[in-house]
Amino acid sequence: MNLAWKEIKKNKVRFIILGSIIFLVSFLTFIISGLANGLSQDNAALIKDLPKGQFYMADDADGTFNLSRIDNDLQQKVMTKEKDAVAFSIQMGFLNDRDDKQQSVAFVTSTESTLFKNVHQGEVLLDSSLQDKGIQVGDTLTNNQYSGEFIVKGFVEQKKYSHAPVAYISEEAYHEMYRVNNKQLIYVPNKEPKEFKGLQAYSNKEFLNTIPSYSAEQLSLNMIIWFLVVISGMLFAIFFYMMNVQKIGLYGILKAIGLKTSKLFKMIWTQMAIITVISLFVSVSLSQLFNLVAPKGMPFTLTIATTTQLSIVFLIIGFIGATLSGIQIKKIEPLQAIQQGEA
Amino acid sequence: MTLFTIDEVRKTFKNGEVEEEILKGINLSLKEGEITALVGASGSGKSTLLTIAAGLQPATYGQVLFEEQNLMTMSTEQVRKLRASKFGFVFQFAHLVPFLTVEEQLLLMLEVADSSLKKHEQKHEVNRLLQLVGMAHRMTAYPSSLSGGEKQRVAIARAIIHQPKVLFADEPTASLDSQRSKEIMLLLRELTKTLNITTLMVTHDEEMLAYADRIIKMSDGVVLPSAMY
Repeated sequence: MNLAWKEIKKNKVRFIILGSIIFLVSFLTFIISGLANGLSQDNAALIKDLPKGQFYMADDADGTFNLSRIDNDLQQKVMTKEKDAVAFSIQMGFLNDRDDKQQSVAFVTSTESTLFKNVHQGEVLLDSSLQDKGIQVGDTLTNNQYSGEFIVKGFVEQKKYSHAPVAYISEEAYHEMYRVNNKQLIYVPNKEPKEFKGLQAYSNKEFLNTIPSYSAEQLSLNMIIWFLVVISGMLFAIFFYMMNVQKIGLYGILKAIGLKTSKLFKMIWTQMAIITVISLFVSVSLSQLFNLVAPKGMPFTLTIATTTQLSIVFLIIGFIGATLSGIQIKKIEPLQAIQQGEA
Repeated sequence: MTLFTIDEVRKTFKNGEVEEEILKGINLSLKEGEITALVGASGSGKSTLLTIAAGLQPATYGQVLFEEQNLMTMSTEQVRKLRASKFGFVFQFAHLVPFLTVEEQLLLMLEVADSSLKKHEQKHEVNRLLQLVGMAHRMTAYPSSLSGGEKQRVAIARAIIHQPKVLFADEPTASLDSQRSKEIMLLLRELTKTLNITTLMVTHDEEMLAYADRIIKMSDGVVLPSAMY
């Protein structure tokens, strides 16, 4: 007999309340997680979208790539050895649109590569968020440090750096604007770190953490997510505990008539699984729906992989919470329950 | 025929530093098809004796022999199996499972007792027994909609559905009014005789003794020999 399901059917309100709490906490966690991922994408999609590999910057830059200047000979040496390598630079700046309105962008230039967009001199390729601000293909944009003009060649999806849209420009334009002939970084995809004299290697994760504000921002958001996970775990345990305490008399009688303790454990695990799976299904569905309808300006990215990972964590926590409260069952003496009177 | 023997059973409880002997060497045997009533004042040890006999708590000393097996030397799991298959329980309160219907209460007991009956046979047996206790018309009702007397009838049906050899009844009528108490006792007597069950009942209600075959009076942890009849 499926005692777990029969109890849920009979005490719908009690289980709906428990399920609502699991739903609310998990939904909140998914939303915060979506925002964290969104902010992370907004901060460094340009880097995060690259495959795993190695970033090299000048070792005297001391981990701050803005200060890195890679000697051209050294760059040539690395690029000769590593065929897929690409040298690139990033600098924050402004573009003036046709109404002379300033748009904050991250200028990116690179050597020829499929990993970065390459444009001809006088052309610019922009992140699509600028399209929403009224900039169109063929528009002419200017920059105070650049003598020429940029003609918008097209738009790319989801390429952001430091919360600003990326603007791919030619090497010549970049060199003129920032008065440098060197690149800041060399990226070698799908490779283990190698020793190059005068260069320091960083993995994707290590490099992301060198970006100012990235690690601080992500650390704070991840702290919120994991606090929510821990708090929800405690809520699970407390609610299952309270439910079980209310049923101690019943469990005692069931044990007295000969029901196995393992059957009682199976009952609370089944209830936990039913309630948690239904609640998580609702919150995953709603958070994915929110992912689709979230306002364009809101940095929100929630993948199925992230929600699946968090859902598994919630299920494990729910299982631990139910088991901890179930330990009470093991301690119940049938005699005590009989003497307690009617439940 | 003797089915159940309680031999020199003692029970001591520790109350802080002080040891208190609740049962002081009880000897008793229960016969098939008989209702044995244990009576005595509060604290005389009658409920403690019943729970030891039912395997719900161990004795400090002595033997409880059922079908030549000593409950005191059995493992917890062996005692549980014995309770599930050979014993039945009726308590002062019905203690029904609140989220199961009357029919399901009995089906659960058959499941606990590892009944060899097939599903449709189990349903048939439940129906038969509920008719026997006059509750067949409330088969789909939940405990919350039953009266005290109805609940106790269902509790009795649950206690005997798996055809136990021994029925332990701890103050089975204490929560009922006089009329309902008589009905329940008549039912218990009838079932004990019809199904040849050995019943050990604790009661403080002298009126209920009329339904017992044997009355054992206890006082201060001992059986009063003169009061055995």
